[in-house]
Amino acid sequence: MTARRPASRAHRSADTKAPARSAARSPAKASPALDRARVLVANRGEIACRVLHTLRALGVPGIAVYTDADREAPHRWLADEAHALGANDGYLDPERLLAAARETSATAIHPGYGFLSQNAAFAQAVADSGLVFVGPSPAAMRALGEKRSARATAERAGVPVIPGAAECNTVAIATEAARRIGYPVLLKAAGGGGGKGMRRVVGAGEMATAFAAAQREARAAFADDRLLIEKLIHPARHVEVQILGDGRDAIALGERECSLQRRYQKVIEESPSPGISDGTRRALGEAAVALARGAKYANAGTVEFLVGPDEEFAFLEVNTRLQVEHPVTELRFGIDLVRVQLEVAYGAPLPSPPPPRGHAIEARIYAEDPAREFLPASGRILHLEWPHRPGVRIDTGVAEGQDVTPFFDPLLAKVIAWGEDREEARQRLIAALADTVLLGLATNQSFLLDILASDFFVRGETHTTTLEGWSWAPEPAPPALVEAVRKALRTGPANGGQGSGAPRDGLGPGRDLFSPWRSLGPFRIGGEATDPSTDPRGSR
Amino acid sequence: MSWIAIEVDGKVHRVAAARGRDGIWISIGGRSAFYPDPRRQSTGPGSAAIHDEIRAPMTGKVVAVHVQVGEAVTEGTLLAILEAMKMEYRLVAPRAGLVEAVHCRAGDLVDLGLPLVRLMESASDPSITGSTTESPQ
Repeated sequence: MTARRPASRAHRSADTKAPARSAARSPAKASPALDRARVLVANRGEIACRVLHTLRALGVPGIAVYTDADREAPHRWLADEAHALGANDGYLDPERLLAAARETSATAIHPGYGFLSQNAAFAQAVADSGLVFVGPSPAAMRALGEKRSARATAERAGVPVIPGAAECNTVAIATEAARRIGYPVLLKAAGGGGGKGMRRVVGAGEMATAFAAAQREARAAFADDRLLIEKLIHPARHVEVQILGDGRDAIALGERECSLQRRYQKVIEESPSPGISDGTRRALGEAAVALARGAKYANAGTVEFLVGPDEEFAFLEVNTRLQVEHPVTELRFGIDLVRVQLEVAYGAPLPSPPPPRGHAIEARIYAEDPAREFLPASGRILHLEWPHRPGVRIDTGVAEGQDVTPFFDPLLAKVIAWGEDREEARQRLIAALADTVLLGLATNQSFLLDILASDFFVRGETHTTTLEGWSWAPEPAPPALVEAVRKALRTGPANGGQGSGAPRDGLGPGRDLFSPWRSLGPFRIGGEATDPSTDPRGSR
Repeated sequence: MSWIAIEVDGKVHRVAAARGRDGIWISIGGRSAFYPDPRRQSTGPGSAAIHDEIRAPMTGKVVAVHVQVGEAVTEGTLLAILEAMKMEYRLVAPRAGLVEAVHCRAGDLVDLGLPLVRLMESASDPSITGSTTESPQ
């Protein structure tokens, strides 16, 4: 993978009598660059756990922060040390995070994704406090993270951008711009994203109505009714390239296709994309690397593109951080991106990119209720079982007995499957989701299962509008079955019987949900706690 | 929580189930859902002819309340804005009526199903009916 740990090998051969325990305690110095690293993870949930897992594997001390609602969250217990932030907006408060870093003698801050991860002012404040920010420089974040300057940087690097993107503040200007760009066009709010104030316009006849509606929506959502107009790429695939830079050079680690989205929220991601040719794949990688080199980019990042029907592509934006869906890249390339992030942040050069192998697909389990318009769902996790098997990886930040609160984002876990080809990965992912049990709050698991089994997914015909045009509703269990389960839960296994609608066996209710054996998470007396969710490729 | 094998119409289903508050959670083949207790369901709709309790569609925070007691609303009038998991939900009046009670304030944390606003049929007060326009939809 990366720096080949010469130091630790020398140490081991020179001192074979080193007690096993200390070797286990510090497999560290696996990465000499990280000798003095002590990393505060300024995040929560699955990504905090994900980063802490790598720190543990490297023997680098990891420090968690947690707010009031996260007092019992797993990331707190996974860290070597944990620091309370107080109120729930703590993950967004640079002052409190920097104070936490000072008090815990951290030497670096890993921001995860979301929260302050793309905030150049925070990155600057971290550096000004004498700490290492595990991410790109504030200058690179500004050059690539803000839409306008990113577009300019892309144009300078010779990367194709979406035609148009002019501001248009009257119907007349918009109509003239559309005539120049050619229909169909997209109107969108200049002041914000998330699909609000967005309208597709296929012909001049629709412009006036669409313009008024987009302006109204933009004003309501962002108190800013400025609109942008650009060429509409339709149907489009969302394809993004993983980049790694060290400030001098940059490399691309393949692409991820993330077209399947609901309300601008990604649902299923995979690598490689099933819908582009090798020529396009190469061109996307080269464009992403040109962009990264042009910005002297250091650390991990993602360059997003829209790919149209004839595989013409256009630059969309850069995410100057680790992406939620990074595990599909890790499984294909056999690389630990968080480790590379840390090493690059401490001045190590880039690893040489390993060759990719096979196919990986990720499904995001969200706390949302498919039976109620996918509204956010909260509640206590009454029961939780993850599948552990070859080629399946689970990234999660929740544990049984934990309360899922409405204060943070709804991502509960990512289930990622790897296979020699796309079909094997797909079947492994379906089987893994089918054997995942999460009781106590609604999740989108049935939605994920039906997408993976759908004709469009099997054929790889996935576009950004595929899910919004798909009529789907969850199917409730047969009433007779529900009644039988109700009865079985009431009576327990002693009264279980045979026959139609009757329980055949059961473990019975009453396992103590709040016993410390269940609520404290994984630990072993006299050794390392293990968490099965980190196994990168199963046992292939 | 239990694992139960249940036979329905000759087919055996492996079911994970747990009792929750006022109902049960069932997961079959990775598809889970909540099934409320029958008793609770039957107390619901019957009396809704005159009063409508508008309930929280999700557990979350009340960001803003947009109506006051005594206010006439039409179908689609914004009653309150809720927020959970970074998603905003605009709670609107399901029909025209008069706001009889407001049970929440901005900043409140509310549980799923909690009554937030009570609507009364505006027909009982002609002066208010007059000022209420039916939504075209």
